[in-house]
Amino acid sequence: MSASTIAVPPRMEAAPSPVAPARPGRGRPGEGRAAWILAIPFTLLFLAFTVWPVAQSLFMSFTDTKQKDLRTPFSVNFIGLGNYVRALSDPVFQRAAANTAYFVVVGVPLTLAVALLAAVALDKGITRFRAVFRLGFYTPVITSIVAVAVVWRFILQPDAGLLNTVLSWFGIQGPNWLGDVQWSMPSLILMAIWRNFGTGMIIFLAGLQAVPYSLQEAAAIDGANTWQRFWHITFPLLRPTLLFVSVTTAIGYLQFFEEPFVMTQGGPLNSTISMSMYTYNQFGYGNYGVATAMSYLIFVVIAVITAIQFRVLREKA
Amino acid sequence: MRTPAIAAITVAAALAITGCGRPAENPSAAPQTAATVAGGPATGELTIWAMGAEGQKLPDLLKDFEAANPGVKVTVTAIPWGAAHDKFTTAITAQKTPDMAMIGTTWMGEFAGLGALDPTPASIDKGVFFPGAWGTTEVGGTSYGIPWYVETRLVYYRTDLAKKAGITTPPTDWDGLKAMAKAMQDKAGSKWGINLQPGGTGSWQTVMPFAWSNGAQLNNGDAWTFDTPQMSEAVKYYQSFFTDGLTNKTPAQGATQEPTFVDGSEPMFISGPWMMSAVEKVGGKGFADKYSVFPMPVKQKSASFVGGSNFGVFKTTKNRDAAWKLVQWLAKPEVQVKWYQMSTDLPSVTSAWQDPALTADTKLATFGKQLETAVAPPSFATWEQVAARFDAEIEKVAKTGADVDASLKSVQAEAQSIGTGG
Repeated sequence: MSASTIAVPPRMEAAPSPVAPARPGRGRPGEGRAAWILAIPFTLLFLAFTVWPVAQSLFMSFTDTKQKDLRTPFSVNFIGLGNYVRALSDPVFQRAAANTAYFVVVGVPLTLAVALLAAVALDKGITRFRAVFRLGFYTPVITSIVAVAVVWRFILQPDAGLLNTVLSWFGIQGPNWLGDVQWSMPSLILMAIWRNFGTGMIIFLAGLQAVPYSLQEAAAIDGANTWQRFWHITFPLLRPTLLFVSVTTAIGYLQFFEEPFVMTQGGPLNSTISMSMYTYNQFGYGNYGVATAMSYLIFVVIAVITAIQFRVLREKA
Repeated sequence: MRTPAIAAITVAAALAITGCGRPAENPSAAPQTAATVAGGPATGELTIWAMGAEGQKLPDLLKDFEAANPGVKVTVTAIPWGAAHDKFTTAITAQKTPDMAMIGTTWMGEFAGLGALDPTPASIDKGVFFPGAWGTTEVGGTSYGIPWYVETRLVYYRTDLAKKAGITTPPTDWDGLKAMAKAMQDKAGSKWGINLQPGGTGSWQTVMPFAWSNGAQLNNGDAWTFDTPQMSEAVKYYQSFFTDGLTNKTPAQGATQEPTFVDGSEPMFISGPWMMSAVEKVGGKGFADKYSVFPMPVKQKSASFVGGSNFGVFKTTKNRDAAWKLVQWLAKPEVQVKWYQMSTDLPSVTSAWQDPALTADTKLATFGKQLETAVAPPSFATWEQVAARFDAEIEKVAKTGADVDASLKSVQAEAQSIGTGG
């Protein structure tokens, strides 16, 4: 005990950061080498399968790489930011960015709201068949998108679809949901909410159940009504859960791809094409340079939006 | 994550400086000539990739080839269409291609551009094939492989409803087609006159026959020609079906033509030979007598789209002689007829159409007639990308009534910036 406490202070002065590793040579001679040998398998795998692909794709985004260059990936021309300029000035990519923004700005808050509502209902309101409802709400998450797409196409059929049939009972003439430029995106948002709120619901439910009952009880004794208790006690305590769900949902929605891919192929008139889907198309045409540049643009947008979410929703000190 | 990012930038910068850069010469620029193929029966082993239903049925056909050439062993790998393109490009990059394969006509430019395909030897006579189909094998003046089977598009129409509309002989020109669609709507009581694709993937296959019929071309050498008066006139004609209310602008997502054709609400459409069995299946017994087909209407000439699949040999093959012998065997008229009977794929060899198996059906014979003038798009590696832009503009023209000349101008500008992939 005493020996070690004496030994620590000088080292602390030499390396103020407590996590800084000891310089090589200071420890026992075999230790550093052993550490390196033990780390080699991971380091090699990490270099080969993480660093290298990232480096190569970043490199690709600054070159005019096309599909036919795959066999000789380095005999291509370096064109600086040309691909980024081309992507940003492409009217279809701009349209795709606007569509993605629409999808995220409308879709994420609605998904969170529906997920929270379902979680509160399961936590407080629904006591009978709770497990059945929980399973029912979560099932869309684990169902194949292909099967979902077939069913939703039937639901959204203009003439004999379920949705328009129900609307016609109330004398409403429903639109051609997927074929109309105004309604195609709301249709996809509706489908995405239905498909994704289950995940948020399960996590919110766990968060709600972690809110201490004693706090609720104390507030109730002080005369707070149900809404006040939810808004001033439950909701602030849910903040970390909310951050997690909103970050993961937003990241998923920023890369939204499957819905337009299976339902509309980006149409009608590019009204549902997303950034990810347009990037995918560019890869399909073999324009690897432009496509990787677009991927990095999406990456930057996701990073920025996630940073903003952390700033807004982080726990207040 | 900062370290990998820095490492990545360093690597990228280092590569950029130490530079790569493209080699100056272009190996595929000059027409290539093929070595001759040795005589005698085929021997050795051959591996083949084929897609979809063809991949399933090809081994049965090739039993005959193996019987005629006892020293040869053929292995066919069936590949789903959806995965095929990626599988081919990966294999070409890794130089792990099969000896030969069925190749989609629109992939020819790309694969030949990658230097993967062996030029067709002179022993294969191009004269036996439909000229439009043979055109799909040619890239930059060199032919790679043969057209294996073909398909083309005709106008399908309901004979019973046409009679009601007072039409007994199908129209032959543009005005006649439009008048017929109008009569179907006015006199026969159909909801729509004709079903035409309002843009979207592959709609160029219905638009281009009208353009070709009017003397328009997609390209002149290495330059795209979307902004010609002939093209404009054809697209305006196509647009008029939508603006005159003869065609549904907003069909349901994923809808096919069979149900509305059978119930009579869309009594005409333009499509390929596979629709015959499709509408007869939906229409039930006796429906075969209620419809027929007629050739694409004439402006300057009757033109249609020719599709299908080609058969090619890869340069990496170790058994080139046997591979080309198999290709030659596939092009024999009797083998083509047998293949039609097994798969209903239409023969690409003109003389095979003399066989009673094909002449017996008058609808089928009309397809054979149309194939003589059917045209294929140029085999440029960038065609699919240009076509997608063209499809997007057709959608604007059909659905929103956008100005045709402005749309074609924008297709032309985009096509020129995409290039021809040379």
